[in-house]
Amino acid sequence: MVQLVGSLRKELADSLSTCKVLVVGAGGIGCELLKNLVLTGFKNIEVIDLDTIDVSNLNRQFLFQKKHVGKSKAQVAKESALQFCPSASITAYHDSITNPDYNVEFFRKFMLVMNALDNRAARNHVNRMCLAADIPLIESGSAGYLGQVTVIKKGLTECYECQPKPAQKTFPGCTIRNTPSEPIHCIVWAKYLFNQLFGEEDADQEVSPDTADPEAAWNPEDTAARAAVSEKDGDIKRVSTKVWARSTGYDPIKLFNKLFKDDIMYLLTMDKLWKKRKAPTPLDWQQLEVLVNSEAPASGLKDQKVLDVWGYCQMFQDSVETLSSQLQEKGDDAELVWDKDDPPAMDFVTAAANLRMHVFSMNMKSRFDVKSMAGNIIPAIATTNAVIAGLIVLEGLKILSGEMETCRTVFLNKCPNLRKKLLVPCVLDPPSANCYVCVSKPEVTVKLNVQKTTVLSLQDRILKERFGMVAPDVQIEDGKGTILISSEEGETEANNNKFLSDFGIRNGSRLQSDDFLQDYTLLVNVLHTEELERDVEFEVIGEAPDKAPPPQSNQEEVNSITNGNKDSAQPSTSSKAEDDDLMIVDSDEEEVAASNSAAVATGTKRKYSETGESSAKRPRTDQSDAADDEDDIVALD
Amino acid sequence: MAATKDSKEQKYDRQLRLWGDHGQEALENAHVCLINATATGTEILKNLVLPGIGAFTIVDGHIVSGEDAGNNFFLSSDSIGKNRAQAATELLQELNSDVSGNFVEESPDKLLDNDPEFFHRFTIVIGVQLPESTCLRLGMVLWSASVPFLICKAYGLIGYMRLMVQEHTVIESHPDNALEDLRLDRPFDEFKSHIKSYNLSIMDKKDHSHTPWVIIVAKYLERWLSEHDGQPPKNYKEKEAFRQIIREGILKNENGGLEDEENFEEAIKNVNTALNPTKVPTSVEDLFNSEQCNNITAQSSSFWVMLRAVKEFVYNEGSGSLPVRGSIPDMIADSQKFINLQNVYREKAMQDAAAVSKHVESLLQSVGKPPESISEKDIKLFCKNSSFLRVVRCRSLAEEYSVDSINKDEITSRMDSPDSEMVFYLMLRAVDRFYQLHSRYPGFRKSLRISGAF
Repeated sequence: MVQLVGSLRKELADSLSTCKVLVVGAGGIGCELLKNLVLTGFKNIEVIDLDTIDVSNLNRQFLFQKKHVGKSKAQVAKESALQFCPSASITAYHDSITNPDYNVEFFRKFMLVMNALDNRAARNHVNRMCLAADIPLIESGSAGYLGQVTVIKKGLTECYECQPKPAQKTFPGCTIRNTPSEPIHCIVWAKYLFNQLFGEEDADQEVSPDTADPEAAWNPEDTAARAAVSEKDGDIKRVSTKVWARSTGYDPIKLFNKLFKDDIMYLLTMDKLWKKRKAPTPLDWQQLEVLVNSEAPASGLKDQKVLDVWGYCQMFQDSVETLSSQLQEKGDDAELVWDKDDPPAMDFVTAAANLRMHVFSMNMKSRFDVKSMAGNIIPAIATTNAVIAGLIVLEGLKILSGEMETCRTVFLNKCPNLRKKLLVPCVLDPPSANCYVCVSKPEVTVKLNVQKTTVLSLQDRILKERFGMVAPDVQIEDGKGTILISSEEGETEANNNKFLSDFGIRNGSRLQSDDFLQDYTLLVNVLHTEELERDVEFEVIGEAPDKAPPPQSNQEEVNSITNGNKDSAQPSTSSKAEDDDLMIVDSDEEEVAASNSAAVATGTKRKYSETGESSAKRPRTDQSDAADDEDDIVALD
Repeated sequence: MAATKDSKEQKYDRQLRLWGDHGQEALENAHVCLINATATGTEILKNLVLPGIGAFTIVDGHIVSGEDAGNNFFLSSDSIGKNRAQAATELLQELNSDVSGNFVEESPDKLLDNDPEFFHRFTIVIGVQLPESTCLRLGMVLWSASVPFLICKAYGLIGYMRLMVQEHTVIESHPDNALEDLRLDRPFDEFKSHIKSYNLSIMDKKDHSHTPWVIIVAKYLERWLSEHDGQPPKNYKEKEAFRQIIREGILKNENGGLEDEENFEEAIKNVNTALNPTKVPTSVEDLFNSEQCNNITAQSSSFWVMLRAVKEFVYNEGSGSLPVRGSIPDMIADSQKFINLQNVYREKAMQDAAAVSKHVESLLQSVGKPPESISEKDIKLFCKNSSFLRVVRCRSLAEEYSVDSINKDEITSRMDSPDSEMVFYLMLRAVDRFYQLHSRYPGFRKSLRISGAF
């Protein structure tokens, strides 16, 4: 007879108490997972998270309480879990998993790594570390009522990066700076403005009118000439927004009149822009002040109300005052970091974005809606995370029992699907032969202009942002082994602002890029082109083009698992949840998109890749039961 | 008060984006009863306490055992020997100070013997690991009091849950992908005259490219109807032809090329759904025909009174259509044109709601209730959601457990297939029956424990 310890076979129970596991992330899923792990009998657990606790975590991250706000998530999670289960040994790291301390050796300590992350960059990185260390990884995600768990094992399954993920949506600079046509453009502008005024200045986040807008010029030569001028001396000579703001002592009214009056009047002089568009209407603080009507504020949730223009003027004034005094307290050269859950920072973006929307004749949005777009907010509840964390442990038990072939990727739906399943298991796909990460010799082709692409943007935009490297070393395969980028500080900094062509890189050149930490080498084939769209720096060849957003643009629910809200280099373009910010752990995007409850509810056909034993062989139970809604069994395969 | 509202908004931000402030309000008004603070029970309550139910009461006559402390995150070894309801309440209460936690150190059977009405006060009762006899008794009490009852069981890696409620009505069902209610196929008078106020052929470029797509579709539809005996485009071919007509309406530039008119693009994109005929959804039609709708009494809940009023509206003022929803989607337009259009729908929605309100009033009067027993606000919300109303009904446990269960044959037919989930159901029922007879679970002999292995 099988010997049991609780519900587990003795051998399995024994291996749980001796094996060491790593939990990456101590947020929504992480808290639930830690609870489940200690209750299941895992004894050696390490947990890492670089975040601190915020009030908005408390509705679901149950290991944290109000008194913990501002403290390290990993540390508090460990302490709370130990209080409940003192016999476990938990090590907490308040740190980023991409820190080089957590190298391949570190990962090899573990029998199992479980991701409970909220952003794609960290997921990419842990994926590579686990491939390099050949340690099984359980990947997971949740969004509202939806969730997903999958298993990644080198050589056996798809890795996290086998399927291309849709890129973040970006907007052309001139749309943001000159001709916004949707609220999201104003929100992006307001977030840029925050950084320009209070945060880290970034040349790619200009907010002032763009004189080089090709549309504003009379002929193409003129555009080129103006662009050249603005590139050569315009940007250098011009006083930065921050310096100017500082010179006014962050006077909210002066800032207001510059941003919403003077700059807009300047835009109006670019009359070509407004031949077909509705021209913006400048705002003037002093004039608005006279017109104030003192209506009593309406009741209800304040965040969900749309204020009038003067309401946003006051919000602008208040938030600028608060932020500038915060800046002052921090001292010279201090920088603030925008955070959607920091009330003055969020107020500032709400106010500035709405004022700009008003200037450009758009309907203004409530703080609640602006927050959801600006912060890429994904709804989150404890229930979903608890289900997902439970599934992670079940997959983990299969791995530890040596039953990798029974592992599945499991989707949690909002409503039971046509087969009355809330949880839908699907077979794991084998590794993709075209993956640029997990094949034995990864290779990609990148289309770019060698005369316009700098070494720095190769490093930051292409290798780091696009291909997920943390600290790349790049060598040109030119027979001489020229080192283009070195991860050693200071070694190749002089190259940063030079163009690729300065190093003899041309059409057909091959660049060998290494990330020592990730134990990952990527061969980049350069395809030179002069025909890239404006504001597009490069294109990766051979990947599926970014899929169009789902046909129903006003769905309330996210279509599939998202990366989480920390991905937002760019805010989402959707006013509801973030349907652009999808992360798919599964094989086929369309399948996943179709698996959302909406599609299921309306009876859309769904392609299944379920295995026989997990459900395809099972007789369908829904047809004969259709009239009988009280069928109560929800099968948890 | 304002401060607490703000901090709640912050704390609950991520869930308010899922169920909105009405959902939150419903949650905060709920008093949940949990019977038996087992691992499953506390896990359920944890997920309800965190998002902020108003109150919970744990009913549990058991004493915390060593096993409880080992498998229940909300019971620690210090609580061994204490009453389980009390110990779990203390730790669950820590999760959210906005929730009021209560406990009763009593078995549900005792309460049923002495004071069955005790259970009437709850919004829902969740019973975990209850024996069959208790489920049936409590089920009967709750069924007649119309309190929803959720039964949960967990054995090893198998779990079961069953909801019992006579009737659960849903006004805001938050449908996914709901179609807009634009009435393009049957424009109301105010909308017709609003459409007339536009003349696309004499507009300047700016106005032309900032006319809402709804107006564009309405304009070209008028033309189409006059050319097609009043028949709208129905199949793919006709809709494509209709799209082509709209496309031809895009302004040309000096060189004869098309101007970039995003509002026209939007109109073309929306043709397919915008031309869907306006009709009462069959699910709502079914509710109209139900007994509860047609037989309004003093006992009828406000849901059924309002539903009947909407039905009266549909057959009278509405000429076959539900009240206008009154909201329109975001679209490319300048603010003034958008607001004007929005107001046309909004005002019509108010008029329709006012008409429904009249019906509500006379229905209430007919059963001798004061007209103010249903608020205007509730009627407006009901009208706005009238296409999405839902009613959930369950079978009672007594009915399910009776020998002549309607799907008896089906259950027997499934028993031959070892893969069928029905096997789990039958095994769980058998385990219950075994316990009833032997006062112990199968596989438990004295303290030796053998159950399903992983």
